[in-house]
Amino acid sequence: MKVRIEEQDGNAVAILEGNLDTAAAVETEKAMRPLNDVEGKDIIIDCTDMAYISSAGLRIFLGILQNAQAKGGHVYIKGINDNVRAVFTITGFSNIFEFK
Amino acid sequence: MTIENGSLTIMNKIFTYIRRKLSVRVSLWVVFFAAIIFNVALGFLFYQSREAVRQEAISRATTILEKTSLRIEGILNRVEVASNMTKWLVQRHPDKADSMFVYSRGMLLNNPDFYNCSIAFEPYYFKDKGRYFSAYTKHTGDSLRTTQGGSDYYQYFFADWYLMSQLLGKPCWTEPYMDLDVATNTSEMVTSYCQTIKNKQGQVIGVINTSLSITWLSQTISAVKPYPNSYSIMIGRGGTYFVHPDTTKITRQTIFTQTLEHPDTALTALGHAMQRGEEGIKQMNINGEDSYVFYKPLGQTGCSMAIVCPESDIFGGFDRLRNSVRAIVLVGLLLMLYLFIRIITRELRPLRRLAHEAETIASGQFDAVLPDFQRVDEIGQLSQSFGNMQQSLVKYIEELKDTTAQKASIESDLRIASGIQMGMLPEKFPTKDDRDDVQLYASLTPAKEVGGDLFDFYFRDEKLFFCIGDVSGKGVPASLFMAVTRSTFRTVSAHESMPDRIVTLMNKTIADMNTNHMFVTLFVGVLDLPTGRLHYCNAGHDAPLLVGAGVGELPCDSNIPVGFMPTWKYSLQEAQIFTGTTIFLFTDGLTEAMNADYAQFQMERVNDVAFQALSQQQQEPRQLITRMTEAVHQFVGDAEQSDDLTMMAIQYIRQQSDVRMRKSLVLPCDLQEVPRLNAFVEEVCQEVGFDETVAMQAKVAVEEAVVNVMKYAYPPGQQRDVTIEAASNDVRLKFTIIDCGQPFDPTVQPEVDTTLTAKERKIGGLGIHIIRQNMDSINYERIDNLNVLTLRKKIVKIDN
Repeated sequence: MKVRIEEQDGNAVAILEGNLDTAAAVETEKAMRPLNDVEGKDIIIDCTDMAYISSAGLRIFLGILQNAQAKGGHVYIKGINDNVRAVFTITGFSNIFEFK
Repeated sequence: MTIENGSLTIMNKIFTYIRRKLSVRVSLWVVFFAAIIFNVALGFLFYQSREAVRQEAISRATTILEKTSLRIEGILNRVEVASNMTKWLVQRHPDKADSMFVYSRGMLLNNPDFYNCSIAFEPYYFKDKGRYFSAYTKHTGDSLRTTQGGSDYYQYFFADWYLMSQLLGKPCWTEPYMDLDVATNTSEMVTSYCQTIKNKQGQVIGVINTSLSITWLSQTISAVKPYPNSYSIMIGRGGTYFVHPDTTKITRQTIFTQTLEHPDTALTALGHAMQRGEEGIKQMNINGEDSYVFYKPLGQTGCSMAIVCPESDIFGGFDRLRNSVRAIVLVGLLLMLYLFIRIITRELRPLRRLAHEAETIASGQFDAVLPDFQRVDEIGQLSQSFGNMQQSLVKYIEELKDTTAQKASIESDLRIASGIQMGMLPEKFPTKDDRDDVQLYASLTPAKEVGGDLFDFYFRDEKLFFCIGDVSGKGVPASLFMAVTRSTFRTVSAHESMPDRIVTLMNKTIADMNTNHMFVTLFVGVLDLPTGRLHYCNAGHDAPLLVGAGVGELPCDSNIPVGFMPTWKYSLQEAQIFTGTTIFLFTDGLTEAMNADYAQFQMERVNDVAFQALSQQQQEPRQLITRMTEAVHQFVGDAEQSDDLTMMAIQYIRQQSDVRMRKSLVLPCDLQEVPRLNAFVEEVCQEVGFDETVAMQAKVAVEEAVVNVMKYAYPPGQQRDVTIEAASNDVRLKFTIIDCGQPFDPTVQPEVDTTLTAKERKIGGLGIHIIRQNMDSINYERIDNLNVLTLRKKIVKIDN
């Protein structure tokens, strides 16, 4: 699991690559912690290369979202594949996230 | 036939009419008895009168006969006396021929009623008179003609009358014969008294013959008529008729002639009696008419006379009188009947009006005004009682209306309650078309609108949760208790998978709020559908039947019913249900169903019906319950249903498939092992042919389940393992996750709400939700101190 955080067009973009399973979750959460400090910018999570997600991954996403929303920011999910989107759908996460 | 039927119909109509008319009936009875009394009285009177009339007739006829016979005898005597006188004269002057004319004439002069008289002499007695001399005198008109009779054409000494007295040696009466008057050439039927004249030497010199006309005699006799149609007869010695109304019979027939052709003993007896010179009365039938015959001999003539009096004559007057009286009585009775009917009808008219008014009241018009008859008799009393009854009726009807309205309101409530109660029960029963593992059917028939029986079932995590129960008592209280029990079952079983736990918790909840000391017998079962393992707990309910390889009761521990003791610990039992076996559950409404003779259906019959169903391969739930219901209905008949009747049948029909694939993986409880797990799952999914999407779903679900064990099964620091088994048959892929940690049933954890906003949502609790969504079933069992969690997913075959 690889995590890259970049700044693109004034947005904070996290690019995820690999399988976000429970084993990878601890590292991934650490890697994404900088996003909690983002202020005044939208956060985009680029999942184009993320093949898999479990509930551990979803919890990280929810933490980022709740943090961002508390500051009035937006979190967008980008490039999500169908299988991962299915996990979002059944858990109701598709209703609380915005997709690009 | 038709006529008979017709008259029968008319008779029926008459009887119906009489039955319907009191006045006619009473009148008929009165007239009937009056008729009897009249009949007896008149009968007696008629009998007596008739006897009197008969005696009167006899005495009258006898008197007349007596007189007539005396008169005839007088005539005959006169003939004999006159004849004797003449004989004496002739004997004094036997030689004076001319004197004979004087004697002969003198005879008729003195006796004008004699027909003729001749004094005839032997041939050549008077030498100068030649061979014939007979002084013959006969009436001709008003004068007498005296001539010399006898000539060559009339040789009198050969006549019967001339010879008879000589042969007999004494004077005698001849049988009637025709006397021919030569001078006028007329003949007349006569009878003659002949007397021989002898000279002093005793030689016969002649015969005096004095005749009486039979016609005259007959008229004399016949003139005597006691009754208009009576007649007289006279017969001679031989029975020959001398006098008879039918003149053709005179001298030509005897009294016996008729009996030769038509034997008639009575007539013969009469003839003989008359011949013997007897006197008497005979009652007999003459020429088709009942008659009285009075008979008597006539002096020494040897004749006998009889008066025949037809009964119709004797009793004619009497019969007319009797018929008149009868007619009067009949008319009187009819008049009486008519008057009685009229009078009774008039007297009963108020009653009819009363009946009419009663009919009006009966038809629902309670305000009908009753007539006031102003009478003090029974009818008046009846009318008054009727009025009182009407008032009471009106009052009671008003009260009844109120009561009925109240009752209707309660009934309406009850109907709604019944609807609500029935709505609580599951309505859709899975059949083998819906599921491949179990089919189920149930029926509940309350004895009243609402009942205290309950059943329920639902599926959760490849388990069938079901219960059947019977609340003590019936009606509304029982139904409320039933509703509480049913909702408690749903609430409790949502978080508990073991029946003993479910019942214990239900008992605690219900007993705590049970202030009315009601209770419910309950059977709760949880059937694990993939394996057919049944866990159950029986709280004082009838043990269910297993209908499969045979018919037998499911062994049940004796637990107390739910609702008594909140602290009671209910026991758990287990059984293996084999494919094809039906679990038949029921309430005591089945075994205690009563027929009209208060006999109960009883367990033996339940067993019999189940056994029959089994032997005919009819143990499918709906068939079994239908058969049981029919058997109960047949047994109970028309008797009222005494208790709520509930039945539920569950048939386990899962066919175990062959295992195609079996793999296992043992991982230490370290989250870093998750990629190995995912690789394992991926491999398995590939092997069974899941596409990427389905494989992803399985991967996520298994990861969530295993991570759960890794995180929470063991206390921190304990290094233990978790085993993941994968197995598949043609239908499903099954993952079994086994650990030996503390008991934990993830299936009873509360559901997450996926509709909340990001802010409201909590981190965590998603795992079980993802498993449920991604897999077809999740099943937890605690077996031998192991937590066994089974996840299943259907293999969808894609046809190429």
